[in-house]
Amino acid sequence: MKRDYQSQYYTVFTGASSSSTSAAGGSGVSDVRADVAGKSKMWVEGKQPEAGYDELLAGVGYEVKSSDMFDVAQKIEHLEGVLGNDDGLSQIASDSVHYNPSDLSSWLESMISELNPIVQQPVVIDDSFVNAADDLQAIAGNAIYPPEAKKQKTSPPSTAASSSTNPNAIVLVDSQENGIRLVHTLMACAEAVQKDEIQLAETLVKQAGILAASQAGAMRKVAAYFAEALARRIYRLYPSSQRDSPAFQDLLQMHFYETCPYLKFAHFTANQAILEAFSGKNKVHVIDFSMKQGMQWPALMQALALRPGGPPTFRLTGIGPPSGDNTDHLQEVGWKLAQLANTIHVEFEYRGYIAESLVDLEPAVLDLRDDEVVAVNSVFEMHQLLARPGAVEKVLSAVKDMKPEILTVVEQEANHNGPVFLERFTESLHYYSTLFDSLESSGGGGDGAVEGGGILPASAQDKIMSEVYLGKQICNVVACEGPDRVERHQTLTQWKTRFESGGFEAVHLGSNAYKQASMLLALFAGGDGYRVEENNGCLMLGWHTRPLITTSAWKIR
Amino acid sequence: MFPINDHVDLLIEVLQRLDGRSLGAAACVCRQWCSIVRNDSLWEHLCFRQLSPPPSVGTRSVVLALGGYRRLYMVCVRPVVSRLKAGESEVVRRVWNQREMELTLSLFCVEYYERLLGGGGVVGGGESPAKSLKFLCQAVNVGL
Repeated sequence: MKRDYQSQYYTVFTGASSSSTSAAGGSGVSDVRADVAGKSKMWVEGKQPEAGYDELLAGVGYEVKSSDMFDVAQKIEHLEGVLGNDDGLSQIASDSVHYNPSDLSSWLESMISELNPIVQQPVVIDDSFVNAADDLQAIAGNAIYPPEAKKQKTSPPSTAASSSTNPNAIVLVDSQENGIRLVHTLMACAEAVQKDEIQLAETLVKQAGILAASQAGAMRKVAAYFAEALARRIYRLYPSSQRDSPAFQDLLQMHFYETCPYLKFAHFTANQAILEAFSGKNKVHVIDFSMKQGMQWPALMQALALRPGGPPTFRLTGIGPPSGDNTDHLQEVGWKLAQLANTIHVEFEYRGYIAESLVDLEPAVLDLRDDEVVAVNSVFEMHQLLARPGAVEKVLSAVKDMKPEILTVVEQEANHNGPVFLERFTESLHYYSTLFDSLESSGGGGDGAVEGGGILPASAQDKIMSEVYLGKQICNVVACEGPDRVERHQTLTQWKTRFESGGFEAVHLGSNAYKQASMLLALFAGGDGYRVEENNGCLMLGWHTRPLITTSAWKIR
Repeated sequence: MFPINDHVDLLIEVLQRLDGRSLGAAACVCRQWCSIVRNDSLWEHLCFRQLSPPPSVGTRSVVLALGGYRRLYMVCVRPVVSRLKAGESEVVRRVWNQREMELTLSLFCVEYYERLLGGGGVVGGGESPAKSLKFLCQAVNVGL
């Protein structure tokens, strides 16, 4: 074994290490430390501390740069943790290569890596991450996309920034304290961003990334997304204003639809309100602001087909953004719905309207007919209008011109639009933590042994795509500002104020919607965690005690 | 020995009282039984015999159009029933209510639409449900 010491400390070290080879077990290594500390007083005095080195520690023979103090302290803590957990010390003690202990930082580093040879996918953060900005493999990196070779735990980390000489590549042992520390670090970082203390924010965000990698499950993913969003804000690497294509957004939302009940809940409860509003009417027209793949409408069409007295003529107008590529996505969805309508013998007419934003919509273009009853439906679209002043009011006034029997609105139940960044950050951290928590339960949740077949968990890919879907929202809430920040969620109370000043009043959703929603949730794995609540006639779906999604219905006053 | 195969109407009476799994097993007995069991009306009976009041008139044409009662049973009814009464034994014959039936039919329709979206043919349909119903359980193909 190569021993590499500076000559003036050689005496100290051979003495210490020989005692460790003869001792058994863990005590050997701690003796080394005790010996080194104890013998430090015997070292030659008069060594002048160099500039930048901490004077007090230099006085006892340790060279530690002041700027490294924090890192060194952290490493000492980790070393303690690792020493406490390690079982194979006797083997290590005889094989190890000991480095110059006065260079405390790298000595600690060597001790840690020797004692804890199992690499727990450390996230190595250095400045080269800045170049990987558009790639989720930045700080989020391994936390979200664990390297394929999960079983080969000794393989080195595969991120681009794996320069192993980086003294900050600390290997962490998972602990609950790290979880709490992680939340505090994220909050402290947000506060630093709020106060424009960029240096501090940079340090904290890197720390957060490292701590996130030591966590497991939902906490790890949420923290990684928030850390990435903070980093984007700090380094001003905003997600490109050329947003993802609508096709990709639709795809992500489809996976979210399949993985967890939120969207299904939204569709079923809104449909129930529309069904009741259409009761007894022969010609009905639905104007959908959130057309996407049209997943909401088959269930409504089927309910209309089977209603007593037979189905009405059903007209659907779908509003959506331009497809980007040359396909007419809105029209294609219309074709499929028409096929379904034909199959179940419902008279159906469809038209699609392309609009960059709902603000551009003119009711006159919609071919509204006098003998029809209109319903307007919006799922997760209203909050985006808050990014432009006056937009919501304009759209609500356009809706009034459509003279709807009912307006159904589904929105996230959270205030992510406050004027103070730190408050938005805190709110969204709690909101998305709860949401990710519920996603975790959908992966193999429940007890599995149900008569009639097992509960099939959401596939891993569905889950990951759902997480990406939510991650993009997180990034928007935290990193963007101005017209780019479109995820401006508001609570029911706030929406109520807006709708009422826009000339609408609430329509109570009724017990049928409530019972149907409860039944739907009972079908989901992890069903115990989901809760339906009625709130002032609106229905809220939440995870345990936290409401996450609200369906509400409105009519013109 | 009573030749049950010569008295198909009696055979059907008996089969109508079976649960899904037993029907599946019955289909494996011989070719005649197999073709009788494949008859969708047996499965209609299985789906809705517990329903009180019985489903509305238009239901049959909708169900047949969306894939038939056997598929409805395999893809929706069975998983929904087993989820909703998790813990009770299957021997206890459960009475459906209207609301559960409506929800089940809606899910069936969504599943049909999803297969349409997927671009694959919906004629005949695979035995396994489209993704939107994977949150229930995977239908077990009992050899039909």
